Amino acid sequence: MNAPFAGKDGESAFASLCDALRPDMFRFAFWLARDRNVAEDVVQEALLRAWRSRESLADAAAAKPWLITIIRREHARLFERKRHETVPLDDLVADHSPELATADDADRETLDLRRAILALDADYREPLVMQVLVGLSTQEIAEQLGLTQAAVLSRLFRARHKLRAALGVPADGEAD
Amino acid sequence: MQCLEFHRLAGADPQHLPEQARVHAEGCPQCAEHLRRLRAFDERIRAALLVPVPAERGPRAATPVIGLDRRRWMALAASIVAGVLVGTLLWVGSPRDSLARDLVEHVAHEPQALASPVPADADTVAQVLERGGIRLRPDFETVSYANSCEFRGRTVPHLVVQTDRGPVTVMVLRNEKLTAVTHFDEQGYSGSIVPAGPGSIAIIGAAGTDLAQVTSRVLEAVTWL
Repeated sequence: MNAPFAGKDGESAFASLCDALRPDMFRFAFWLARDRNVAEDVVQEALLRAWRSRESLADAAAAKPWLITIIRREHARLFERKRHETVPLDDLVADHSPELATADDADRETLDLRRAILALDADYREPLVMQVLVGLSTQEIAEQLGLTQAAVLSRLFRARHKLRAALGVPADGEAD
Repeated sequence: MQCLEFHRLAGADPQHLPEQARVHAEGCPQCAEHLRRLRAFDERIRAALLVPVPAERGPRAATPVIGLDRRRWMALAASIVAGVLVGTLLWVGSPRDSLARDLVEHVAHEPQALASPVPADADTVAQVLERGGIRLRPDFETVSYANSCEFRGRTVPHLVVQTDRGPVTVMVLRNEKLTAVTHFDEQGYSGSIVPAGPGSIAIIGAAGTDLAQVTSRVLEAVTWL
């Protein structure tokens, strides 16, 4: 079996790959968890698990969806372990406002869009983040979520539609 | 294809339309305009998703540190950060610091390399890669410039790759061994030097370019011979 991350050279290559992917891993975890601390924990745990099983990754090109799978599992595991209390959505979004506003690029428009994304139901938010941020194909998203491609396309369409509606962006077209 | 079907497809994945939809947009100004707006909105979504990333917890985030709880990990992270700071100060004063500067100067002295977005001659690219002892995955991004350049006394592959973030320079530095990823911002360029294979690979873009995805794609695409 091809094992590009076996041995000493493999360790170095894998560490470099994780360094490069870490920003997107954190961002994906953040949009999944909607909490920066949880996202950091999820990414750290995911990296540890990925490191331990790195030799099972036969194709370096598949590293990104492989890591996304691990993050999703870690998030589910952490969520189950902590049994988070239900937080009213408005409180959750409000809680994130200060940290979202500290970003260099957080102009009013970006901040409003971040609030709208945070408020999206996970069914719509997760595939959208996988597509736009992580760059997964609809086929890869379907595999991650256990859905058909048609269902993924439908959710992606609705996610964008909901964001436009939340921001008051005109929906130009009869399909909207 | 009907406009309704086009809107359904474009609204779900405006960046990757099937051939039929692309043909429809070419012949339908309203749908072409709709697609332009969708793509512009997607850019806004992508910008919003790029939330700030906290500093790395160590120079090697993937290195296993098993059994640490959060508080102990924070203490360890603090000591690592301090170590990295000291290391960085030492690094700045060492000959290694000139690597980033040399890279930026090299890129700045070959502005023509960034000028053309069209694919470089395939034979030239193949020769540069062969001379540099590497192979690129066939489905890698468009290489618009390829040259075997003299750099720090060695001949190294100098490539320009057309990405969705604009042209990005890739220099394969077989003889520059690093122990950790180095990021730099100098003279209007942002870059990363990433340990890879027997040496490292430098990825350089315009100032402020988010190079994370490009870097991962380069690392995935390069095979050392």
